[in-house]
Amino acid sequence: MTDTEIINIILQGGRNEFRTLVERYQSMVFRTCMGFLHDKDDADDLTQEVFIQAYQSLNKFKGDSAFSTWIYRIAVNASLNRLRKNSRTPILNRLDSLFVTGKEKEISLTANDDEDPESILIRLEKSKWIQAALDSLPENQRTVIVLSKYDDLSQKEIAEIMKITEGAVESLIQRAKANLKVKLSSTYKKMRLIP
Amino acid sequence: MNCQLCQKESDKYREGKLSDDLRIQVESHLQQCTECAESYRIQLIADSVINMEKAISPAINLTARIMDRIENLEDAGNKISKPFIRVLQPVLIITSMAAAIFIGVLIGNIYKPSGTVISRPVELSLIDDATIESVDILSNE
Repeated sequence: MTDTEIINIILQGGRNEFRTLVERYQSMVFRTCMGFLHDKDDADDLTQEVFIQAYQSLNKFKGDSAFSTWIYRIAVNASLNRLRKNSRTPILNRLDSLFVTGKEKEISLTANDDEDPESILIRLEKSKWIQAALDSLPENQRTVIVLSKYDDLSQKEIAEIMKITEGAVESLIQRAKANLKVKLSSTYKKMRLIP
Repeated sequence: MNCQLCQKESDKYREGKLSDDLRIQVESHLQQCTECAESYRIQLIADSVINMEKAISPAINLTARIMDRIENLEDAGNKISKPFIRVLQPVLIITSMAAAIFIGVLIGNIYKPSGTVISRPVELSLIDDATIESVDILSNE
């Protein structure tokens, strides 16, 4: 059954059909949220919010673009809103990060249990280093990086989601990569993390 | 190969999408140029971190959680969409309480005890309590 057929059924009262759409797109939405937030629990929560928002505004979906494009837009906007909200409450976030540190380690440890503690720490430091560099990018550059690197979308698909031209996407990707290179190189020289 | 071309082709090199000829040129340049080699290593680290995050899956019960919340929202929405019932409910309770009190008072007023009154002699009703002498005065005498 196509997305449009499912949406028509939902709009006629078939609420349970929304489950099919959730199952079809939850991994994709979760990856996008993860790309922005870098935290599994936060990404889970935001994925939930994205689907609820999509359900509530399903009658506004006109079918001009694919449902995937539409839900990507919601996911990107929700992620950026969450980041803006987080940046407005830095004290609360700092307090929260005190409790999150252990959780981050737990997530990373589960990736490879055979690793020795030193390499786990190095990997964690590397993660924080890369995440900080990604987080420091301007919103539109960050969005293209998340959509291209985390979701493996083509420039055409990214252009459709962001409602800009493919040329603009290409330009944003180049600028994001250049910014990342500068930020990562300068930190790399200071930290000497790479063995 | 110069640094600019090497940087440009590094993405395709990492993804294994270069022709053999270009691949050999990039590899040769990376062995000679420390700056490009450093940049390449940083890109590899960034890729590994991103891949690690990409490998994380959403919670197993996420679909169920989403559907539960939608169901709850809809139920709440249905309740909100019937304001008439929400207003009517307390009005009905207050009205029935007022009616119960009114009926109680009404029944109380209608009720007239009949058979249980103890009959008193007529003389007793003629006695004026104010004129009765105090017991204390009698005892003093």
